[in-house]
Amino acid sequence: MTTRREIVRTQNVRKTYVMGEEVVHALRGITLTIYAGEYISIMGPSGSGKSTFFNMVGGLDKPTSGEVYIDEVDIAQLDPYELAWLRCRKIGYIFQTFNLIPVMTALENVTLPMVFAGTDPDEAREKGARLLSLVGLGGRLHHKPAQMSGGQQQRVAIARALANDPAIILADEPTGNLDLKTGHEVIELLRRLKDERGVTIITATHDMKMLDVSDRVIWITDGQVSRIQSRAELDIKVGSIDGKQEA
Amino acid sequence: MADEKKRRRAAGRVYACGGVRRERVVVLPWRRTLSMCVANVRHRRGRALITFVCIAVVVAFFAATLAQQELVNELRRVGGVEVHAALERVHAGAPDGAAAARQAAQQRWLLGLSVLLCLTGITNTILMSVTERVREIGTLKCLGALDRFIVRLFLIENACVGVTASVAGAVCGLGVAVVQTGLMTAFSFLSGRMCMWAALYSGPRAVALGTVLTVVASIYPTLVAARMKPADAMRVDV
Ligand SMILES: Nc1ncnc2c1ncn2[C@@H]1O[C@H](COP(=O)(O)OP(=O)(O)OP(=O)(O)O)[C@@H](O)[C@H]1O
Ligand SMILES: [Mg+2]
Repeated sequence: MTTRREIVRTQNVRKTYVMGEEVVHALRGITLTIYAGEYISIMGPSGSGKSTFFNMVGGLDKPTSGEVYIDEVDIAQLDPYELAWLRCRKIGYIFQTFNLIPVMTALENVTLPMVFAGTDPDEAREKGARLLSLVGLGGRLHHKPAQMSGGQQQRVAIARALANDPAIILADEPTGNLDLKTGHEVIELLRRLKDERGVTIITATHDMKMLDVSDRVIWITDGQVSRIQSRAELDIKVGSIDGKQEA
Repeated sequence: MADEKKRRRAAGRVYACGGVRRERVVVLPWRRTLSMCVANVRHRRGRALITFVCIAVVVAFFAATLAQQELVNELRRVGGVEVHAALERVHAGAPDGAAAARQAAQQRWLLGLSVLLCLTGITNTILMSVTERVREIGTLKCLGALDRFIVRLFLIENACVGVTASVAGAVCGLGVAVVQTGLMTAFSFLSGRMCMWAALYSGPRAVALGTVLTVVASIYPTLVAARMKPADAMRVDV
């Protein structure tokens, strides 16, 4: 790692929600740089602003002030068409609730982003099948979401997130609706994708299992970065966290 | 012409990203749109059935009224002696002058009212299915769907239901009109010329009415759907 390429950079990002009289400061100035190929976990108590930060980085919402750069492009400058393109090509989303399209089969779900990207249908089907076997679902191409377990649905969602070879995968509590074991499998899968494909993975989580695979952990408290732990610092701490979990 | 426009648009979307210039295209082919719409209608058969019945009933009513008028007019024009006699007999029993006008006005009111009821009913049903699908719509947008893809999906989905319902309603309505006119004239026109076909003229008009109704009813819910934010995909509460 000589020259690390910046993939996401946020500059003093603030987000304020105004609801009638009440003003909620969800983010109070977040400045961060995330490098290509990193596995980042964002931790913090409920309501600390993790999801809000995700929406900013994913181009799903605009900050009240401050800038978000993805691949050196200020996403506030993009028009709706370019934003859609960015979501389609540059970023893969994974949700806590899986969010597969219920009327579509696993394969159709995975090929949908490729349809939007204008990929040739045959090529898309072939690639979709390849991605599904990559996540261990090669035998379930034509199953509907309702016919699959939570863990399997989340793996389809991961395959879908990879459809257009995005640079970044954003996962907001990807294991939130999964049991311990399937949650672990999903985390392991994400780590493998990072290692083998060099995808940048950014997850928000309450799940301490995530710490083991993260390159950096960013703690957010009350809309501000309170602590950034690197791999080296984490290795020291992992023992004590394991101890806490067993207790 | 259309191709030229598309190419120009795509060319305008060349974007320097990480030093590499790439063509930016976001598309939803028509064939895929249709298959998605059909799959959705099938999946939510219950909802679609409500819309279907509403539209079919209104269209049947409209088609029956229209077709009967056409049939009687046609019979007056070409019918034989006995047909004229039969029509006169029915006419004699019917209210005349002011009373007939009142009846016609009443019928128009009834049609207007049913159209209004039908509109609000369908709008409500579609709105429900839109709010039910908040997360799905958000997800589509996260995957790269433009607002206009959402508009297209919802409009076509409902138009499909509307057109089939209109055709079904029109067929029923025309059937009713033919039988009713037949009863009036003791089916004597069946032996004569095929003026029964006159009834068919009102078919396209009835189908058009039904289709327009469904599309009008789905405009507001479709706009609601298109305006949803991609961040809605993250919502856990729906
Ligand atoms: N659309 C919104 N309108 C108003 N307030 C909002 C909105 N979204 C988030 N907030 C507020 O912003 C703050 C941060 O919310 P956020 O969802 O980012 O928290 P979080 O860290 O993701 O929490 P959790 O771990 O429970 O998912 C909260 O106080 C929340 O009430
Ligand atoms: Mg959250």
